[in-house]
Amino acid sequence: MRPVYVLGVGAHPWGKFPQKPQLQLAIEALSAALTDARLGWRDLQGLVAASSRFEGGMGWGLHANEVLQAVAESGVPAVNVGGGCAAGGIAVHTAAAMVASGECEVIAALGAERMPKGFIPRPPGCPDDITDTDYLRWVTMGATNPVYWALEARRRMHEFGTTAETFAKASVLMHHNAIANPRARYRAECSVEDVLHSPTVSDPLHLLEICAVSDGAAAVILGSEEQARRLGVPKVAVAGSAVATGQFGDPAVRIPTVSTTVGASAPHTSEVAGAVRHALDRAGMGPGDIDFVELADNTAWHVLAWPEFFGFLEPGQSDWMIEHGQMGIDGKLPVNPSGGFLSFGEATTAQGVLQVCELAWQLRQQAHGRQVPGAKVGLSAVLGLGANGASVVLKA
Amino acid sequence: MVETLEQVPVAEDLFRWSGDGADLVGTRCRGCGAHYFPKSLSCRNPQCEHKAVEEVLMGRRGRLHSYTVQSYRPPALFRMEPWAPYAIGLVELPNGLRVMGMLTGCALFDIRIDMPLELTVEPLYRDESGRDVMTYKFQPTAEGTA
Repeated sequence: MRPVYVLGVGAHPWGKFPQKPQLQLAIEALSAALTDARLGWRDLQGLVAASSRFEGGMGWGLHANEVLQAVAESGVPAVNVGGGCAAGGIAVHTAAAMVASGECEVIAALGAERMPKGFIPRPPGCPDDITDTDYLRWVTMGATNPVYWALEARRRMHEFGTTAETFAKASVLMHHNAIANPRARYRAECSVEDVLHSPTVSDPLHLLEICAVSDGAAAVILGSEEQARRLGVPKVAVAGSAVATGQFGDPAVRIPTVSTTVGASAPHTSEVAGAVRHALDRAGMGPGDIDFVELADNTAWHVLAWPEFFGFLEPGQSDWMIEHGQMGIDGKLPVNPSGGFLSFGEATTAQGVLQVCELAWQLRQQAHGRQVPGAKVGLSAVLGLGANGASVVLKA
Repeated sequence: MVETLEQVPVAEDLFRWSGDGADLVGTRCRGCGAHYFPKSLSCRNPQCEHKAVEEVLMGRRGRLHSYTVQSYRPPALFRMEPWAPYAIGLVELPNGLRVMGMLTGCALFDIRIDMPLELTVEPLYRDESGRDVMTYKFQPTAEGTA
Protein backbone atom coordinates (compact mmCIF):
# COMPACT_ATOMS: atom_id res chain seq x y z
CA MET A 1 0.00 0.00 0.00
CA ARG A 2 1.38 3.43 -0.92
CA PRO A 3 1.09 6.67 1.09
CA VAL A 4 -1.97 8.87 0.60
CA TYR A 5 -2.01 12.68 0.76
CA VAL A 6 -4.70 15.32 1.16
CA LEU A 7 -4.56 17.42 -2.01
CA GLY A 8 -7.44 19.74 -1.22
CA VAL A 9 -10.41 20.34 1.05
CA GLY A 10 -13.56 22.43 0.73
CA ALA A 11 -16.88 22.94 2.44
CA HIS A 12 -20.07 24.88 1.97
CA PRO A 13 -21.05 26.84 5.09
CA TRP A 14 -23.48 25.04 7.42
CA GLY A 15 -26.99 26.44 7.93
CA LYS A 16 -30.42 26.20 6.35
CA PHE A 17 -30.49 26.67 2.59
CA PRO A 18 -34.01 26.00 1.37
CA GLN A 19 -33.22 27.55 -2.03
CA LYS A 20 -30.26 25.25 -2.77
CA PRO A 21 -30.80 21.63 -3.79
CA GLN A 22 -28.56 19.06 -2.16
CA LEU A 23 -26.81 18.52 -5.49
CA GLN A 24 -25.84 22.19 -5.64
CA LEU A 25 -24.41 22.10 -2.11
CA ALA A 26 -22.42 19.03 -3.15
CA ILE A 27 -21.08 20.64 -6.33
CA GLU A 28 -20.08 23.84 -4.52
CA ALA A 29 -18.17 21.90 -1.83
CA LEU A 30 -16.44 19.69 -4.39
CA SER A 31 -15.61 22.66 -6.57
CA ALA A 32 -14.05 24.46 -3.59
CA ALA A 33 -11.94 21.40 -2.77
CA LEU A 34 -10.75 21.09 -6.38
CA THR A 35 -9.79 24.79 -6.42
CA ASP A 36 -7.96 24.29 -3.12
CA ALA A 37 -6.01 21.43 -4.73
CA ARG A 38 -5.37 23.47 -7.89
CA LEU A 39 -7.18 20.78 -9.87
CA GLY A 40 -10.03 20.75 -12.37
CA TRP A 41 -13.01 18.42 -12.78
CA ARG A 42 -11.13 16.61 -15.56
CA ASP A 43 -8.43 15.57 -13.08
CA LEU A 44 -10.76 13.51 -10.87
CA GLN A 45 -10.22 9.79 -11.35
CA GLY A 46 -12.96 8.70 -8.99
CA LEU A 47 -15.61 9.97 -6.60
CA VAL A 48 -16.84 8.41 -3.36
CA ALA A 49 -20.06 9.81 -1.91
CA ALA A 50 -21.50 9.42 1.56
CA SER A 51 -25.07 8.47 0.77
CA SER A 52 -27.69 10.50 2.56
CA ARG A 53 -31.16 9.05 2.91
CA PHE A 54 -33.01 12.34 2.85
CA GLU A 55 -32.65 13.68 -0.66
CA GLY A 56 -31.23 12.98 -4.09
CA GLY A 57 -29.98 9.87 -5.85
CA MET A 58 -33.43 8.94 -7.17
CA GLY A 59 -34.44 7.77 -3.72
CA TRP A 60 -31.11 6.36 -2.59
CA GLY A 61 -29.76 9.64 -1.27
CA LEU A 62 -26.77 11.59 -2.58
CA HIS A 63 -24.93 9.46 -5.12
CA ALA A 64 -21.52 10.11 -6.63
CA ASN A 65 -22.78 9.13 -10.07
CA GLU A 66 -25.50 11.79 -9.83
CA VAL A 67 -22.88 14.46 -9.08
CA LEU A 68 -20.71 13.34 -12.01
CA GLN A 69 -23.68 13.27 -14.35
CA ALA A 70 -24.55 16.80 -13.28
CA VAL A 71 -21.14 18.38 -13.66
CA ALA A 72 -18.51 16.14 -15.33
CA GLU A 73 -19.57 13.08 -17.33
CA SER A 74 -16.06 11.69 -17.40
CA GLY A 75 -16.79 8.00 -17.01
CA VAL A 76 -14.72 7.65 -13.83
CA PRO A 77 -15.79 5.20 -11.11
CA ALA A 78 -18.45 6.35 -8.64
CA VAL A 79 -18.69 4.59 -5.28
CA ASN A 80 -21.54 5.24 -2.87
CA VAL A 81 -21.14 4.30 0.77
CA GLY A 82 -23.70 4.05 3.55
CA GLY A 83 -23.18 3.96 7.29
CA GLY A 84 -25.65 6.47 8.68
CA CYS A 85 -23.98 9.58 10.00
CA ALA A 86 -20.60 7.83 9.84
CA ALA A 87 -20.88 7.64 6.04
CA GLY A 88 -18.68 10.73 5.58
CA GLY A 89 -15.80 9.10 7.48
CA ILE A 90 -16.38 5.85 5.61
CA ALA A 91 -16.24 7.76 2.29
CA VAL A 92 -12.86 9.31 3.18
CA HIS A 93 -11.55 5.90 4.27
CA THR A 94 -12.78 4.27 1.04
CA ALA A 95 -11.27 7.00 -1.14
CA ALA A 96 -7.95 6.67 0.74
CA ALA A 97 -7.95 2.92 0.12
CA MET A 98 -8.50 3.50 -3.61
CA VAL A 99 -5.42 5.71 -3.73
CA ALA A 100 -3.34 3.44 -1.48
CA SER A 101 -4.13 0.43 -3.68
CA GLY A 102 -2.94 2.24 -6.81
CA GLU A 103 -6.40 2.27 -8.39
CA CYS A 104 -6.60 6.08 -8.48
CA GLU A 105 -4.07 8.92 -8.55
CA VAL A 106 -6.63 11.58 -7.62
CA ILE A 107 -10.01 10.90 -6.00
CA ALA A 108 -12.58 12.85 -4.00
CA ALA A 109 -14.73 11.95 -1.02
CA LEU A 110 -17.94 13.94 -0.71
CA GLY A 111 -20.81 14.42 1.73
CA ALA A 112 -23.81 16.71 1.28
CA GLU A 113 -27.00 16.89 3.26
CA ARG A 114 -30.21 18.84 3.53
CA MET A 115 -31.94 17.84 6.71
CA PRO A 116 -35.71 17.60 7.10
CA LYS A 117 -37.36 19.92 9.61
CA GLY A 118 -37.98 18.74 13.16
CA PHE A 119 -37.73 15.12 14.23
CA ILE A 120 -36.21 12.80 11.66
CA PRO A 121 -39.02 10.63 10.23
CA ARG A 122 -38.81 6.86 9.90
CA PRO A 123 -37.87 5.69 6.40
CA PRO A 124 -40.84 4.58 4.28
CA GLY A 125 -41.70 0.90 4.16
CA CYS A 126 -40.60 -0.02 7.69
CA PRO A 127 -42.82 -2.59 9.42
CA ASP A 128 -44.97 -1.51 12.36
CA ASP A 129 -43.99 -4.43 14.60
CA ILE A 130 -41.31 -5.70 17.00
CA THR A 131 -38.84 -6.40 14.17
CA ASP A 132 -38.33 -2.61 13.85
CA THR A 133 -36.95 -1.15 17.06
CA ASP A 134 -37.26 2.34 15.57
CA TYR A 135 -41.03 1.72 15.66
CA LEU A 136 -40.90 0.25 19.16
CA ARG A 137 -38.92 3.06 20.73
CA TRP A 138 -41.58 5.53 19.59
CA VAL A 139 -44.79 3.66 20.32
CA THR A 140 -43.81 2.05 23.62
CA MET A 141 -42.14 5.04 25.31
CA GLY A 142 -41.61 7.96 22.90
CA ALA A 143 -37.83 7.78 23.18
CA THR A 144 -36.42 10.70 21.18
CA ASN A 145 -32.71 10.76 20.31
CA PRO A 146 -31.92 13.15 23.20
CA VAL A 147 -33.40 10.54 25.58
CA TYR A 148 -30.57 8.16 24.72
CA TRP A 149 -27.91 10.80 25.29
CA ALA A 150 -29.61 11.99 28.47
CA LEU A 151 -29.52 8.45 29.91
CA GLU A 152 -25.75 8.44 29.37
CA ALA A 153 -25.35 11.95 30.80
CA ARG A 154 -27.37 11.14 33.92
CA ARG A 155 -25.31 7.98 34.48
CA ARG A 156 -22.11 9.98 34.12
CA MET A 157 -23.32 12.39 36.82
CA HIS A 158 -23.92 9.37 39.07
CA GLU A 159 -20.56 7.71 38.39
CA PHE A 160 -18.21 10.70 38.28
CA GLY A 161 -20.14 13.49 39.94
CA THR A 162 -20.24 15.49 36.72
CA THR A 163 -22.29 18.63 37.35
CA ALA A 164 -24.79 20.49 35.19
CA GLU A 165 -22.27 23.36 35.10
CA THR A 166 -19.55 21.12 33.65
CA PHE A 167 -21.83 19.91 30.86
CA ALA A 168 -22.73 23.54 30.21
CA LYS A 169 -19.05 24.52 30.05
CA ALA A 170 -18.46 21.90 27.36
CA SER A 171 -21.19 23.52 25.27
CA VAL A 172 -19.84 27.01 25.99
CA LEU A 173 -16.41 25.87 24.75
CA MET A 174 -17.82 24.49 21.48
CA HIS A 175 -19.66 27.75 20.81
CA HIS A 176 -16.58 29.78 21.71
CA ASN A 177 -14.41 27.82 19.26
CA ALA A 178 -16.88 28.44 16.43
CA ILE A 179 -16.85 32.23 16.67
CA ALA A 180 -13.91 32.47 14.27
CA ASN A 181 -15.07 29.67 11.97
CA PRO A 182 -16.68 31.14 8.85
CA ARG A 183 -18.45 27.86 8.01
CA ALA A 184 -20.12 27.36 11.41
CA ARG A 185 -23.85 28.06 11.72
CA TYR A 186 -23.90 29.31 15.33
CA ARG A 187 -21.12 31.80 15.92
CA ALA A 188 -22.22 33.65 19.02
CA GLU A 189 -20.58 33.36 22.40
CA CYS A 190 -22.82 31.84 25.05
CA SER A 191 -22.44 31.64 28.82
CA VAL A 192 -22.96 28.84 31.32
CA GLU A 193 -26.08 30.71 32.43
CA ASP A 194 -27.39 30.87 28.84
CA VAL A 195 -26.96 27.11 28.54
CA LEU A 196 -28.54 26.30 31.90
CA HIS A 197 -31.42 28.68 31.26
CA SER A 198 -32.18 27.19 27.84
CA PRO A 199 -35.12 24.75 27.95
CA THR A 200 -34.52 21.30 29.43
CA VAL A 201 -35.12 18.87 26.57
CA SER A 202 -34.32 15.55 28.21
CA ASP A 203 -33.10 16.06 31.75
CA PRO A 204 -30.17 16.67 32.42
CA LEU A 205 -29.59 17.94 28.85
CA HIS A 206 -30.62 21.46 27.83
CA LEU A 207 -31.41 22.74 24.36
CA LEU A 208 -27.99 24.42 24.03
CA GLU A 209 -26.28 21.14 24.94
CA ILE A 210 -27.83 19.22 22.02
CA CYS A 211 -26.86 19.72 18.37
CA ALA A 212 -29.40 21.05 15.90
CA VAL A 213 -29.77 19.72 12.35
CA SER A 214 -28.33 21.72 9.46
CA ASP A 215 -27.72 21.65 5.73
CA GLY A 216 -24.10 21.44 4.61
CA ALA A 217 -21.59 19.85 2.27
CA ALA A 218 -17.89 19.02 2.41
CA ALA A 219 -15.33 17.41 0.13
CA VAL A 220 -11.79 16.08 0.44
CA ILE A 221 -9.46 15.41 -2.50
CA LEU A 222 -6.91 12.64 -1.91
CA GLY A 223 -4.02 11.55 -4.08
CA SER A 224 -0.65 9.90 -4.36
CA GLU A 225 2.64 11.38 -3.14
CA GLU A 226 3.58 12.13 -6.75
CA GLN A 227 0.40 14.19 -7.21
CA ALA A 228 0.98 16.07 -3.94
CA ARG A 229 4.51 16.94 -5.05
CA ARG A 230 3.42 17.93 -8.57
CA LEU A 231 0.70 20.24 -7.26
CA GLY A 232 2.92 21.76 -4.60
CA VAL A 233 0.11 21.66 -2.02
CA PRO A 234 0.92 21.65 1.72
CA LYS A 235 2.05 18.15 2.74
CA VAL A 236 -0.72 16.56 4.79
CA ALA A 237 -0.78 12.76 4.81
CA VAL A 238 -3.51 10.29 5.70
CA ALA A 239 -1.51 8.59 8.45
CA GLY A 240 -4.28 6.12 9.21
CA SER A 241 -7.99 5.59 8.73
CA ALA A 242 -10.47 2.93 9.76
CA VAL A 243 -14.09 1.86 9.69
CA ALA A 244 -15.56 -0.28 12.46
CA THR A 245 -18.89 -1.62 13.70
CA GLY A 246 -20.33 -2.25 17.15
CA GLN A 247 -19.06 -5.03 19.40
CA PHE A 248 -21.15 -7.51 21.35
CA GLY A 249 -21.62 -6.45 24.97
CA ASP A 250 -21.07 -2.72 24.38
CA PRO A 251 -22.90 -0.97 27.24
CA ALA A 252 -23.94 2.02 25.08
CA VAL A 253 -27.70 2.39 24.67
CA ARG A 254 -27.83 2.65 20.90
CA ILE A 255 -30.41 4.65 19.02
CA PRO A 256 -32.98 3.23 18.14
CA THR A 257 -32.78 0.05 20.25
CA VAL A 258 -34.75 -0.42 23.47
CA SER A 259 -32.28 -2.69 25.25
CA THR A 260 -28.63 -3.57 25.39
CA THR A 261 -27.01 -6.91 26.14
CA VAL A 262 -24.16 -5.81 28.40
CA GLY A 263 -20.94 -7.81 28.46
CA ALA A 264 -17.59 -7.38 30.12
CA SER A 265 -15.21 -7.13 27.20
CA ALA A 266 -16.50 -4.48 24.81
CA PRO A 267 -15.61 -0.79 25.15
CA HIS A 268 -18.36 1.82 25.37
CA THR A 269 -19.36 3.20 21.95
CA SER A 270 -17.35 0.32 20.49
CA GLU A 271 -18.06 1.15 16.84
CA VAL A 272 -16.15 4.42 17.22
CA ALA A 273 -13.64 3.19 19.83
CA GLY A 274 -12.72 0.35 17.45
CA ALA A 275 -12.30 2.71 14.50
CA VAL A 276 -10.13 5.10 16.52
CA ARG A 277 -7.94 2.25 17.78
CA HIS A 278 -7.42 0.82 14.27
CA ALA A 279 -6.78 4.25 12.72
CA LEU A 280 -4.13 4.92 15.38
CA ASP A 281 -2.62 1.45 14.91
CA ARG A 282 -2.36 1.99 11.16
CA ALA A 283 -0.69 5.35 11.80
CA GLY A 284 1.73 3.65 14.20
CA MET A 285 0.58 6.09 16.88
CA GLY A 286 -1.09 6.20 20.25
CA PRO A 287 -3.44 8.75 21.81
CA GLY A 288 -0.42 10.67 23.14
CA ASP A 289 0.71 11.45 19.59
CA ILE A 290 -2.50 13.31 18.73
CA ASP A 291 -2.43 17.12 19.01
CA PHE A 292 -6.23 17.65 18.74
CA VAL A 293 -9.43 15.75 17.98
CA GLU A 294 -12.57 16.46 15.99
CA LEU A 295 -15.33 14.28 17.40
CA ALA A 296 -19.07 13.94 16.92
CA ASP A 297 -20.47 16.07 19.75
CA ASN A 298 -24.17 15.43 19.32
CA THR A 299 -24.38 16.66 22.93
CA ALA A 300 -22.19 18.19 25.63
CA TRP A 301 -21.99 14.69 27.14
CA HIS A 302 -20.09 13.49 24.04
CA VAL A 303 -17.43 16.20 24.53
CA LEU A 304 -16.70 14.78 27.98
CA ALA A 305 -17.22 11.06 27.41
CA TRP A 306 -15.67 10.32 24.04
CA PRO A 307 -12.04 11.32 24.79
CA GLU A 308 -12.23 8.97 27.78
CA PHE A 309 -13.82 6.09 25.85
CA PHE A 310 -11.10 6.28 23.19
CA GLY A 311 -8.14 6.32 25.56
CA PHE A 312 -7.18 9.99 25.36
CA LEU A 313 -8.13 10.59 28.98
CA GLU A 314 -8.82 8.51 32.08
CA PRO A 315 -12.47 7.83 32.97
CA GLY A 316 -13.80 10.93 34.75
CA GLN A 317 -10.81 13.10 33.81
CA SER A 318 -12.70 15.20 31.25
CA ASP A 319 -14.48 17.17 33.98
CA TRP A 320 -11.15 18.45 35.29
CA MET A 321 -9.99 19.15 31.74
CA ILE A 322 -13.07 21.26 30.97
CA GLU A 323 -12.97 23.05 34.32
CA HIS A 324 -9.31 23.97 33.74
CA GLY A 325 -9.64 24.97 30.10
CA GLN A 326 -7.54 22.02 28.93
CA MET A 327 -9.92 21.01 26.12
CA GLY A 328 -9.68 24.51 24.66
CA ILE A 329 -7.60 25.41 21.62
CA ASP A 330 -4.56 26.17 23.82
CA GLY A 331 -5.18 23.23 26.17
CA LYS A 332 -3.56 19.83 26.61
CA LEU A 333 -6.18 18.10 24.45
CA PRO A 334 -8.02 20.54 22.20
CA VAL A 335 -11.44 19.06 21.35
CA ASN A 336 -13.29 20.33 18.27
CA PRO A 337 -11.41 23.54 17.49
CA SER A 338 -13.94 23.85 14.63
CA GLY A 339 -16.78 24.31 17.12
CA GLY A 340 -18.13 20.81 16.53
CA PHE A 341 -21.67 19.64 15.90
CA LEU A 342 -22.98 21.92 18.66
CA SER A 343 -21.92 24.96 16.61
CA PHE A 344 -22.55 23.59 13.13
CA GLY A 345 -25.71 21.56 13.62
CA GLU A 346 -25.52 18.08 12.20
CA ALA A 347 -25.73 17.66 8.45
CA THR A 348 -25.48 13.92 9.14
CA THR A 349 -23.48 12.26 6.35
CA ALA A 350 -21.55 15.43 5.44
CA GLN A 351 -20.24 15.76 9.00
CA GLY A 352 -17.56 13.07 8.79
CA VAL A 353 -16.08 14.74 5.70
CA LEU A 354 -16.18 18.19 7.31
CA GLN A 355 -14.21 16.81 10.29
CA VAL A 356 -11.41 15.78 7.91
CA CYS A 357 -11.48 19.22 6.26
CA GLU A 358 -10.94 20.78 9.70
CA LEU A 359 -8.04 18.41 10.41
CA ALA A 360 -6.42 19.58 7.16
CA TRP A 361 -7.00 23.30 7.81
CA GLN A 362 -5.49 22.93 11.27
CA LEU A 363 -2.46 20.97 10.05
CA ARG A 364 -1.81 23.54 7.29
CA GLN A 365 -2.02 26.30 9.94
CA GLN A 366 -4.94 27.82 8.03
CA ALA A 367 -7.52 27.65 10.82
CA HIS A 368 -7.53 31.40 11.34
CA GLY A 369 -8.82 32.48 14.73
CA ARG A 370 -9.15 28.90 15.96
CA GLN A 371 -5.69 27.52 15.18
CA VAL A 372 -4.31 24.85 17.52
CA PRO A 373 -0.74 26.07 18.02
CA GLY A 374 1.81 23.86 16.29
CA ALA A 375 -0.73 21.16 15.37
CA LYS A 376 1.02 18.30 13.55
CA VAL A 377 -1.39 15.37 13.99
CA GLY A 378 -5.18 15.38 14.23
CA LEU A 379 -7.79 12.65 14.61
CA SER A 380 -11.48 12.54 13.66
CA ALA A 381 -14.13 10.27 15.16
CA VAL A 382 -17.70 9.87 13.97
CA LEU A 383 -20.62 7.57 14.77
CA GLY A 384 -23.42 6.44 12.48
CA LEU A 385 -26.83 5.00 13.19
CA GLY A 386 -26.74 1.21 13.11
CA ALA A 387 -23.44 0.79 14.99
CA ASN A 388 -21.11 2.33 12.39
CA GLY A 389 -17.91 4.14 13.29
CA ALA A 390 -15.10 5.81 11.36
CA SER A 391 -11.87 7.58 12.26
CA VAL A 392 -9.19 9.36 10.24
CA VAL A 393 -5.72 10.45 11.38
CA LEU A 394 -4.00 13.20 9.37
CA LYS A 395 -0.38 14.21 9.81
CA ALA A 396 1.47 17.31 8.61
CA MET B 1 -72.43 -2.58 36.59
CA VAL B 2 -68.70 -2.72 36.20
CA GLU B 3 -67.54 -1.87 32.72
CA THR B 4 -64.86 -4.22 31.44
CA LEU B 5 -62.64 -2.51 28.94
CA GLU B 6 -60.75 -4.32 26.28
CA GLN B 7 -57.00 -3.88 26.58
CA VAL B 8 -54.57 -4.29 23.70
CA PRO B 9 -50.75 -4.11 23.75
CA VAL B 10 -49.07 -1.20 21.95
CA ALA B 11 -47.07 -3.83 20.01
CA GLU B 12 -47.69 -7.56 19.65
CA ASP B 13 -45.31 -10.12 21.10
CA LEU B 14 -43.37 -7.64 23.24
CA PHE B 15 -44.82 -8.27 26.71
CA ARG B 16 -47.56 -10.29 28.42
CA TRP B 17 -49.64 -9.46 31.44
CA SER B 18 -52.32 -10.91 33.65
CA GLY B 19 -53.58 -10.45 37.20
CA ASP B 20 -50.39 -12.21 38.25
CA GLY B 21 -48.07 -9.54 36.85
CA ALA B 22 -46.25 -8.63 33.66
CA ASP B 23 -43.38 -10.17 31.70
CA LEU B 24 -41.20 -8.93 28.86
CA VAL B 25 -40.91 -11.40 25.97
CA GLY B 26 -37.40 -11.88 24.65
CA THR B 27 -35.05 -14.57 23.45
CA ARG B 28 -32.17 -16.54 24.94
CA CYS B 29 -29.39 -18.17 22.94
CA ARG B 30 -29.46 -21.96 23.20
CA GLY B 31 -25.68 -21.95 22.84
CA CYS B 32 -24.19 -19.19 24.98
CA GLY B 33 -27.24 -18.15 27.03
CA ALA B 34 -27.16 -14.47 26.03
CA HIS B 35 -30.50 -12.65 26.37
CA TYR B 36 -32.15 -10.27 23.91
CA PHE B 37 -35.15 -7.94 24.02
CA PRO B 38 -37.29 -7.72 21.96
CA LYS B 39 -37.13 -11.18 20.41
CA SER B 40 -34.09 -11.49 18.15
CA LEU B 41 -33.61 -13.44 14.93
CA SER B 42 -30.28 -14.83 16.07
CA CYS B 43 -27.68 -14.74 18.82
CA ARG B 44 -25.37 -11.77 18.28
CA ASN B 45 -22.35 -13.04 20.24
CA PRO B 46 -19.51 -13.29 17.66
CA GLN B 47 -17.88 -16.08 19.71
CA CYS B 48 -21.06 -18.17 19.62
CA GLU B 49 -21.60 -20.42 16.60
CA HIS B 50 -24.87 -21.89 17.86
CA LYS B 51 -26.96 -18.85 16.94
CA ALA B 52 -30.37 -20.49 17.56
CA VAL B 53 -32.49 -18.58 20.07
CA GLU B 54 -35.61 -19.57 21.99
CA GLU B 55 -38.39 -17.39 23.32
CA VAL B 56 -38.09 -16.63 27.02
CA LEU B 57 -39.81 -14.41 29.57
CA MET B 58 -37.46 -11.89 31.17
CA GLY B 59 -37.17 -11.35 34.90
CA ARG B 60 -39.79 -8.98 36.29
CA ARG B 61 -37.50 -7.06 38.58
CA GLY B 62 -34.43 -4.92 38.13
CA ARG B 63 -32.51 -1.86 39.28
CA LEU B 64 -32.50 1.60 37.78
CA HIS B 65 -29.23 2.16 35.91
CA SER B 66 -30.11 5.63 34.62
CA TYR B 67 -33.09 7.80 33.75
CA THR B 68 -34.22 10.98 32.07
CA VAL B 69 -37.32 13.15 32.14
CA GLN B 70 -38.86 13.77 28.74
CA SER B 71 -39.93 17.42 28.87
CA TYR B 72 -41.15 17.80 25.28
CA ARG B 73 -43.95 15.87 23.68
CA PRO B 74 -42.44 13.31 21.26
CA PRO B 75 -43.67 13.12 17.63
CA ALA B 76 -47.08 11.72 16.81
CA LEU B 77 -46.08 8.05 16.56
CA PHE B 78 -46.06 8.16 20.38
CA ARG B 79 -49.54 8.54 21.86
CA MET B 80 -50.08 9.25 25.54
CA GLU B 81 -53.30 10.80 26.77
CA PRO B 82 -53.32 12.97 28.74
CA TRP B 83 -49.75 14.00 28.02
CA ALA B 84 -47.45 15.23 30.76
CA PRO B 85 -43.66 15.15 31.18
CA TYR B 86 -42.65 11.62 32.14
CA ALA B 87 -39.56 9.62 32.96
CA ILE B 88 -37.81 6.98 30.88
CA GLY B 89 -35.52 4.61 32.73
CA LEU B 90 -32.72 2.27 31.74
CA VAL B 91 -33.27 -0.78 33.93
CA GLU B 92 -30.72 -3.50 34.58
CA LEU B 93 -32.27 -6.95 34.81
CA PRO B 94 -30.70 -9.92 36.64
CA ASN B 95 -29.89 -11.59 33.29
CA GLY B 96 -27.55 -8.70 32.40
CA LEU B 97 -29.87 -6.98 29.93
CA ARG B 98 -30.51 -3.28 30.29
CA VAL B 99 -34.00 -2.36 29.09
CA MET B 100 -35.45 1.08 28.43
CA GLY B 101 -38.99 1.79 29.53
CA MET B 102 -41.28 4.43 31.00
CA LEU B 103 -41.24 4.82 34.77
CA THR B 104 -44.46 5.02 36.77
CA GLY B 105 -45.64 5.14 40.38
CA CYS B 106 -42.96 7.58 41.42
CA ALA B 107 -42.77 11.38 41.47
CA LEU B 108 -40.22 12.67 38.97
CA PHE B 109 -38.12 14.24 41.75
CA ASP B 110 -38.07 10.99 43.76
CA ILE B 111 -36.35 8.92 41.08
CA ARG B 112 -32.97 7.59 42.22
CA ILE B 113 -30.37 5.55 40.38
CA ASP B 114 -30.17 1.99 41.79
CA MET B 115 -33.76 2.04 43.06
CA PRO B 116 -35.40 -1.43 42.80
CA LEU B 117 -38.13 -1.64 40.16
CA GLU B 118 -40.65 -4.13 38.90
CA LEU B 119 -42.40 -4.47 35.58
CA THR B 120 -45.99 -3.40 35.17
CA VAL B 121 -48.34 -2.71 32.28
CA GLU B 122 -50.45 0.45 32.04
CA PRO B 123 -52.64 2.18 29.45
CA LEU B 124 -51.10 4.89 27.27
CA TYR B 125 -54.35 6.04 25.62
CA ARG B 126 -57.78 4.84 24.51
CA ASP B 127 -57.98 4.07 20.81
CA GLU B 128 -60.79 4.87 18.36
CA SER B 129 -62.45 1.50 19.10
CA GLY B 130 -62.59 2.32 22.80
CA ARG B 131 -59.80 -0.08 23.75
CA ASP B 132 -57.05 0.79 26.18
CA VAL B 133 -53.66 0.60 24.46
CA MET B 134 -51.15 -0.76 26.96
CA THR B 135 -47.38 -0.42 27.27
CA TYR B 136 -44.86 -1.87 29.72
CA LYS B 137 -43.43 0.36 32.44
CA PHE B 138 -41.28 -0.02 35.51
CA GLN B 139 -42.45 1.01 38.98
CA PRO B 140 -40.70 1.19 42.34
CA THR B 141 -40.86 -1.90 44.50
CA ALA B 142 -39.90 -2.53 48.11
CA GLU B 143 -36.17 -2.49 48.89
CA GLY B 144 -34.57 -5.92 49.23
CA THR B 145 -36.94 -7.73 46.90
CA ALA B 146 -35.25 -6.82 43.64
